[in-house]
Amino acid sequence: MGLRLDTIRECLEGVIPGHIATCDGEGMPNLAYLSQVQFIDNEHVALSYQFFNRTRRNVLAGSAVRLMLTSHLTGAQYRLTLAYLRTETAGPLFEQMRAKLAGIASHTGMSGVFRLLGSDIYRILAIEQVPGPTLAPPPPTVNYLTALRRATGRLAECATLARLLESALDCLAGEFGIAHVMLLMHDEGRGRLYTLASRGYPQSGIGSEIPIGAGVIGICARERIPIRIGFMTSEYGYGRCVRDSVAADGHGDSLEHAIPLPGLPEAGSQLAVPITAYDRLLGVLYLENVTDLHFGYDDEDALVAFAAQLGLAMHHHQMAEDLAEDEPGPGGAPPAPAGTSLRIRHFAANDSVFIDDDYLIKGVAGAILWTLLTDFVERGRTVFTNKGLRVDPRIRLPGISDNLEARLVLLQRRLEERAAGIHLIKTGRGRFSLVVERPLQLVSE
Amino acid sequence: MLDSDNAAFIQTGVSISLASCGPDHLPSMSRGLGCKVLDAGRQVAVFVRRSQSKALLAHIRSSGRVANVFSLPSSNRTLQLKGCDARIVPFTPADLPIVDKHLADFILEVIPLGMAEAVVRAILASQPDDLATVVYTPSAVFSQTPGPKAGERLD
Repeated sequence: MGLRLDTIRECLEGVIPGHIATCDGEGMPNLAYLSQVQFIDNEHVALSYQFFNRTRRNVLAGSAVRLMLTSHLTGAQYRLTLAYLRTETAGPLFEQMRAKLAGIASHTGMSGVFRLLGSDIYRILAIEQVPGPTLAPPPPTVNYLTALRRATGRLAECATLARLLESALDCLAGEFGIAHVMLLMHDEGRGRLYTLASRGYPQSGIGSEIPIGAGVIGICARERIPIRIGFMTSEYGYGRCVRDSVAADGHGDSLEHAIPLPGLPEAGSQLAVPITAYDRLLGVLYLENVTDLHFGYDDEDALVAFAAQLGLAMHHHQMAEDLAEDEPGPGGAPPAPAGTSLRIRHFAANDSVFIDDDYLIKGVAGAILWTLLTDFVERGRTVFTNKGLRVDPRIRLPGISDNLEARLVLLQRRLEERAAGIHLIKTGRGRFSLVVERPLQLVSE
Repeated sequence: MLDSDNAAFIQTGVSISLASCGPDHLPSMSRGLGCKVLDAGRQVAVFVRRSQSKALLAHIRSSGRVANVFSLPSSNRTLQLKGCDARIVPFTPADLPIVDKHLADFILEVIPLGMAEAVVRAILASQPDDLATVVYTPSAVFSQTPGPKAGERLD
């Protein structure tokens, strides 16, 4: 068996530019440098098409293609023989390459010059290693198979969605050595992602939002494909992308930014991985690091496999919570509210809820909280079920596919962070109780 | 013919690569380990390793055609020369200082960009008895610096 491309993928990261050689109809050779080579599988690569140059003319005229790649880790050089198949100008592969190219352009002082016009897809006909001395590659920082095995085991032990999310982020830190990570859930109805958990930031950012299609995270969600950038680039900084997208949408909603998205101010490396189950996007895992080229193809593969496990587990917990037949029990006598009263304001237009004058939550989670508190104040009710909420007309869930349990986890966490004396306590599968420590004054705006 | 500016440029710490084409139009390519300019810019000599360039040298012997790219990593300034009269001559030890100086210049060029010196030395390692010299007359000179003028013919 010949050399497999998946064993030499560090050559494709753009640290040492590849060289492409072609030939015109008269037999005159042409050489050019390549910004980017993208691994597709062991039989295919994609090359970035940025300029209509001699290389492209030769390729379109049917020239055979030779590629020279060099490992920045070992110094090994490889020559690949390729045959051009087609060009893609939109879609997941194109977006993956466009994002990566933005990082490479920024790194090489070519921002504004490098612009991806297309992803040229080639079949690999042969790979040969050029004879010459090479260095031993540096040892990997993580054994991904071990990390995956242990993380998969830990996910399987979780009994609730909230526990699963905690465990997932603990695994990324403990097993994979990832210091900065966010988990965002998909709000299908509103075309947004909301942060449900994070690690490694001064503020958790729970409840912060990002539109589908904005920045690394939003493009990952829209295309449902990992997006990985190895060098710092302002082009894909989510802060700017969110601002641009909000401006373009004409959303003057100041609540959009009421909770800032956490994140490193200057991430050298970014990796966003979609979490899917049964063809549905559930959310996105976003990882970043201050150093360049921190995440490689192997990290991406390991995280995609991890996200696949996580997606199935999330789907399972959502279904289990929704289908639980447990009837709410009578509930113990709740402690009597005491102290100064809390003024809870609800704005029906966007279901936003404020505690005193501080914004807490909006949207579906806001509607849930308002419903719970209304029932508590009017009827003294403290025990609730997911099943009951799902059919409650006051909540207007976007659809059966909506992850109600994730909304409850979001709400629970926002309440805990606000430390206002309102708690949601899970009491069993698909059921929870409301604990209110202070008298409430509900104001419907 | 090369002007003095381009002639000086290709003899700095640039990355050098050389390509040719076989009778079946399959391209071949190899890294260059330094170069020199002959006859006041009318000819260019590039040093390559025989062990890494079997197809390239065979193609040059049969067609005489070469494409030769020089690129400075820190600025992305890139130049491509083409020739139709390339021939292979024995490497002379008198040119060893050029190969050594090119390696030293290239290391100085790429270390600030984050490359490890040991890796650069592995990529450009050579033995004098493995070297060959490819000499040709540049018949066309192109700027390949990325940007709107990429591909523009300069001569």
